[in-house]
Formats: sequence, structure tokens, C-alpha cells
Amino acid sequence: MTIERDEQLASIDTIQSGLADLNYISNHQIATAVFLAYHLDKPVLIEGPPGVGKTELAKSVANMLALNCIRLQCYEGLDESKAIYEWKYGKQLLYTQVLKETLGEILEGAKGLTESVAKLHEFGDVFFSEDFLEPRPLLKALKEEAGCVLLIDEIDKSDHEFESLLLEMLSDYQLSIPEIGTIKANPDRKPLVFLTSNNTREISDALKRRCLHLYIPFPDADLESQIVKARVPEVPEELRRQLVTFIQALRELDLKKVPAISETIDWAKTLILLHTESLDSELVKQTLNVILKFQEDIEAVTGEVQMLTNKATKAP
Amino acid sequence: MERTLVDFIKVLRTAEVKVSPAETLDAMAALEVVGYEDRGLFKDSLSMLLSKNPEEKETFEICFEKFFTFDDVMKADAAGGDEIDDATSDAFDDEGDHGNTPGQPGGKGSGQGSGQGNGEDDSESAEDLEEGAEALEPSSPLGQLLVNGSRTDLMVAMAEAGRAVEVNQIVVFTQKGLYTRKIMDAMGLKALSEEITDLQGEGGIGEQRLAGKLKRARDQLRDQVRDYVEKQFFLHADEHGKQLREELLKKVKLSNLEKRNFKDVQEIVFKMAKKLVSIHSKRRKTFKKGQLDIRKTLRHNMQYDGVFFDLKWKSSKVDRPKVMCICDCSGSVSNYSRFLLMFLYSLAEVIPKVRSFAFSSDLGEVTRLFQNSNLEDAMAKTMRDYGNGSTDYGQMLMDFKRNCMDDVDNKTTIIILGDARNNYGDSKSEILREIYEKSKRVIWLNPEPRSNWTVGDAEMKKYGPNCHQTEVCNSLTHLERVVSNLLKYAA
Repeated sequence: MTIERDEQLASIDTIQSGLADLNYISNHQIATAVFLAYHLDKPVLIEGPPGVGKTELAKSVANMLALNCIRLQCYEGLDESKAIYEWKYGKQLLYTQVLKETLGEILEGAKGLTESVAKLHEFGDVFFSEDFLEPRPLLKALKEEAGCVLLIDEIDKSDHEFESLLLEMLSDYQLSIPEIGTIKANPDRKPLVFLTSNNTREISDALKRRCLHLYIPFPDADLESQIVKARVPEVPEELRRQLVTFIQALRELDLKKVPAISETIDWAKTLILLHTESLDSELVKQTLNVILKFQEDIEAVTGEVQMLTNKATKAP
Repeated sequence: MERTLVDFIKVLRTAEVKVSPAETLDAMAALEVVGYEDRGLFKDSLSMLLSKNPEEKETFEICFEKFFTFDDVMKADAAGGDEIDDATSDAFDDEGDHGNTPGQPGGKGSGQGSGQGNGEDDSESAEDLEEGAEALEPSSPLGQLLVNGSRTDLMVAMAEAGRAVEVNQIVVFTQKGLYTRKIMDAMGLKALSEEITDLQGEGGIGEQRLAGKLKRARDQLRDQVRDYVEKQFFLHADEHGKQLREELLKKVKLSNLEKRNFKDVQEIVFKMAKKLVSIHSKRRKTFKKGQLDIRKTLRHNMQYDGVFFDLKWKSSKVDRPKVMCICDCSGSVSNYSRFLLMFLYSLAEVIPKVRSFAFSSDLGEVTRLFQNSNLEDAMAKTMRDYGNGSTDYGQMLMDFKRNCMDDVDNKTTIIILGDARNNYGDSKSEILREIYEKSKRVIWLNPEPRSNWTVGDAEMKKYGPNCHQTEVCNSLTHLERVVSNLLKYAA
């Protein structure tokens, strides 16, 4: 397994083609990031505008390596009991109730408080063992014997405190639980960690320092065309060129939310559904709501559609 | 190579990319994995490890291109060096190759290439003569290097000499000549010059020819060294000079700034604002006794068998400060207002609720203007609409009372920026008193030195006691301090 994985991650090109087989078209930087993440045992912090395939990258890598992808979605107020572990309080209570009698038996014959306590001590902290521990994503990822891909999604949505919580995990691949001790990942198969951020706030330096930093920008026309081809193979060549040109021009405009790759793909699918052969301004106007998500933007673009469509349909 | 990498990181640091020692180590580790052979890969890897946000990535890109071009030339040379389009380097090849006795590999290809370029007759005549005086070899080390060494060797020698004389300490451009000279000396210029003089003195045709060759080589070397120093200057000193200038601009009186500095200052303001944002954006939580968090309490007290003796309170977030900013826009103070507003609006992330007002006599709200258009336009419009007329603080306070008093509450901080020169009008300081009692803080920023506050028509004596804080504020450093305090008190 390890050997196989080594092979899959042996060079930048193998990674790129491996991802391409899964319909994830990567560029050189992305492949380099995956390569380095594996060989240096470092987490990757992926930043970029929404919809350029940050989350998708983690999922595709997991797929490529045939590993579990464990996902932790961040949100404000996320804390250790949701991210690392929690005691199964219900189970603990239930067991104490059920075992009341057994406890009586155990304590039988013990004289006085000191002796009883001493006897109880012999059984150790049964109720605070791993059996009563509910592992949450981070702990789960460490316990995967075969390694896994851990995706910490939208880290910028979480609180500052949570970032600090992650530091131990990210630099040493271990977590400390006071009652049990330190849990470490299998040293040969450390989890491959991906963090994504939409840059709604600045991530702390301490966290950044521990990560490789990958910035995925909007793709250029060439790459975008390849992505559309991989994701929506039914789109005819000419239409693909037109819609990519259109989207690229749209990104130049001053919009509240510029269309991302995911929108391009959705649009391509829509156009296929409508049996489109070539873009025309009427059709574009009708389907604008697929690529633009704000009424303001749609209104702003409607006036420009004619010009943009002409540009896009013009032969290269 | 490690040495080079450390040098490169130093360059990055001067260009304000923060690189920690740990990251340096990471970069070294990464290099062991990826190697140096593939330039693209090398660059991508370093970029990922050393630059951690889009702006830093951009800077990294520029620095990398500047710093590693040198190595590129070396690589090209090592790979065969038959096509280097740089004119001087072509000429240089020419020299080097003719020094090599015929039959050495590589000499042929570039000999042909350069023959068309520099001086055909020159090389021909040189070849004629070569047969006669083949035995002559230069004796000084630099001479030998110039004549026999490859370009790569020469570059390495130059880089080493550069390191020895610490060319990376270069600060201002007038030092270029000095460092060029120093590097040449370190490479052994003296011995070479002596040799040339000696050769010329001896008078034999072979000696003369060698002397000529060495002389030409020396001049070319000097050009190259100058080129090298220039590059080093851009790498090390340009940023350094910029830092010097920034330090200066921070301290200079804002009213003395000239229009051409505005762009720089704006950059600095953004930088300072960013720093403040990163310090203060951390949301502090305080535990307000009063609202019980039932869920948390239940869960937490389960370990005590459900007896509530460790209560958990709902945490509440501290409000961001609500700021109202009243700026005097009359000629004398407008520059200060400009930068205060610039500062406040750059801080939108931590103080989202800024309302701004401008006046010279009548007060008007300009909040919307600043939100909707960029700073330059907004500033210009403000100046146009409110900038004229003589200052009347009394009128301003009356307007404020009439329009905005209702919005002032105990969370509001009011900043007034002005010189308090009221043209002997009614000061209406009782209104300020009212504001003082109603708001959280009133801060008066006065660009004039404290000693002038009571001179002439200045009314600071009356206004001062009705403020929580009065400050002299006439440089960016002052401004930064005020805004930082503002954020601190808000917490």
C-alpha cells in the first residue's frame, strides 16, 4: 500500500496525470503542492476565490490514493468537543447505573472508606477509557491506521482559538487528551492534511508557518477549457471555446461575485440541456442566472451581453 | 547552494516577506526532495514554503526572477553556451574562446557565432598572430582566469568577491562605483594591471598582443561587475531605501507632505491599518455574568453527578467601536483630515461603523461618499463641497446637535479633528459638554503644537475640558497611536 502510494506520488507528472484521470485538471503548482505535502509531511493551506476547486482537490487526492477522506467543516463556535473528541456521557451514565450492583460486589468485604477507594482504584479509570470516547474528525484521522486525507474546510470561518487548537495536530500529528494521554498518528502513514480558506479573514502566522501555502487563482482560458472538457465531455469544441471566452471576459468586469469554475461547469451543463450549438445573446440573457448569483450583477451584465457574446462567438 | 538560499531569504525579508527560521529549514528540506534541476519546480516549491499570502507571492515572484537570473546564465553557459543573446556576454565568449588553444571543445561553435557579431577583422588578425606567439600565458591569477577560465568560473569568482566585500550592504546608488572598484580589487585587479603594464613595457609583439587582450578583457570585466553591482543594488538597497523613506514619511508633518508623496503615504497608511487590523481583529470574549448557558452547564456538570456547582455563562462578544468622526476641512487642516479619514476607512474590517462628517462652517455627513467611491474621489468631493468658507466651530456643534445627537450613545466615540480656530466666533462649548456627557469618549485631535492651543483665536481652552482626551496629531505616527488607542479602549 505504502509502496503503491509512493509510486502514485513519485513525481509531479504522475500526480498531474493521476488527478487528470479523476477529472481533476491541475496545474503545475497544484501538483507540486501535493508532492511536497506528501514528501515533507506538511499540511497544505489552500487559498483562493470560492469555486476554484479547493475542496475538490482534497477529495480527488483521497480518491486517487484510495484513502478515506475525513472532512471537518469549520464554522463559528466550533470547539474541541466537535473537532477532536467528546466523552460519551450517556453511555457513561448508563453503565454506572447498570453496573451499580457489580460495584457492590466488587466492594464487598472492604472495610471502611479507604479500603473501598483502594479497591476501586484497582479498576482504574474504566469510565474514562477509549471505549467511552467519541472520536471527532481530527482524532479519527489520527487513528486511521492506513492513513487518510483530512480536509479541514473553510478554516477562516472558525474562531481564532480553534486555529491554536489545530497547531499540535498540524506540526506533530498528535493530540493530547488529558485523561488518556497523547494519541499519535501511525508514523509511516501520516494523514495528508488539506486546509481550505476563502480568505474572509487573515489566518494566523503560527498556522501559516506550519503549512505549505497554495494559492489557486481563477484558471486561464486554456486550463478552464480543459476542465470543462474533463467535466462535461459532451460539450462540442466550438461551444466550449465560446463559453470559456465569455466567462473569461466576464471576470474582467466589476462584479460582486465573479463566476468561478463551478459556475462555468454548471453553465456548460445547462447549455447542453438546452441543446445549444453556439452562444447567442438571447440565450445568454436567459441563462445568466446560472453564472451570476446577484441580481445586481445580472442587471449590470445584461447591457453588455451583446458585446460579450459577439466577442466570444467571433472566430479566433 | 544553501548559502545562496539564505541570501535569497534575506532578500525576501528586505522586500517585506516574512520568513521565519523554521520556514528556512523547511525550504532546505524541500530542496532535498525536489532538487535544483527543474527551475519551475524549484520556484513553485519555494513559493509555497516562503510566501504565505497573495501579496507576498507577488513579491516573491519579482525577487525570485531578479535573484536567480544570474544562475540561469551560468546554467546556459554550462549547457554549451552557444547562444547567449546578450551582446556583452557574446563579446566575452569571444575573448575566452580565442584564449583557448584551438581544439578545445566548445570553442568552435561559439567562435563562429561571435565572429559575425563583434569584430571580424579583429579576430582574424588575432588568429594570424596566434601562431607566432602561442606560448605566452598571463601570469596573474585574474589574468589566467580571464583568458583561460570559463564564464561560469568568472561569475563564481565575481560572486565570491561580492560576498567578500559585502556588496549586499549597499544602501544608496552613489555607492555603486565604490563597490564595483572593491569587487575588482578583491578579484585581483592590481596584479592584473601590473602585469599589463609590464607586458606593455617589454615591447615584444607577443607581449603587446597579450597585453591588449588582457586590457580588453579587463574593461569587459569591469562592465560586468558594474552590471552585477547594479543588480545587487536593486535587490538589497532599493527596498532598504524605501524603508528609510517610509520611516521619514511617518514622522514628517502631514501638512508638509507634497502631492507626489500622497501615493507613498497612502501605501503606508494601508500598511499601518493592516497591522492594526491584525492586532485587533481578534475578537475578545468576556463572560458577562447574568445569562446562564444551560446546555453548557448541564454538560459540564454531568461529571459531578448533575449537581450544578460549576456554572457556565453565555459568552458575549464585545462590540466594535462606533466611531463618529468630525473633520475640519478648511485649508489649514484639510491634509490632516484627509489622512485621518484614510486611516479610518482602511480599518473598515475592525471598525465597521464609522460615520464621518465634514465642515468648515456647516456640517455635512460624508459617510456615504466614502463608502461608495474610492478615497481620492471622495476626498476631492468633500473638499469641494465643504472645503470653502471660514471655520465656525459653533455652527458645526449646533448642526451636530440638531442632526446627530440622537444617534450618540454610550458606546460612541467621537473624534474631532481641527485646530479649534474659531475666528473669534461663539464657541458653543456647552454643546460639546452635552456630547461629552452622552458619549463614551470625545477625542480632540489638534495638529498644532500644544503651545499654540490658546494663542489667538484658538479655543482649545474652552473645548479641552469637555473632551476625554486631547492630542497633538500631526504625523502618521501620531495618527496610528490615536487609532490604536481607540481600538484598545473599545475592547
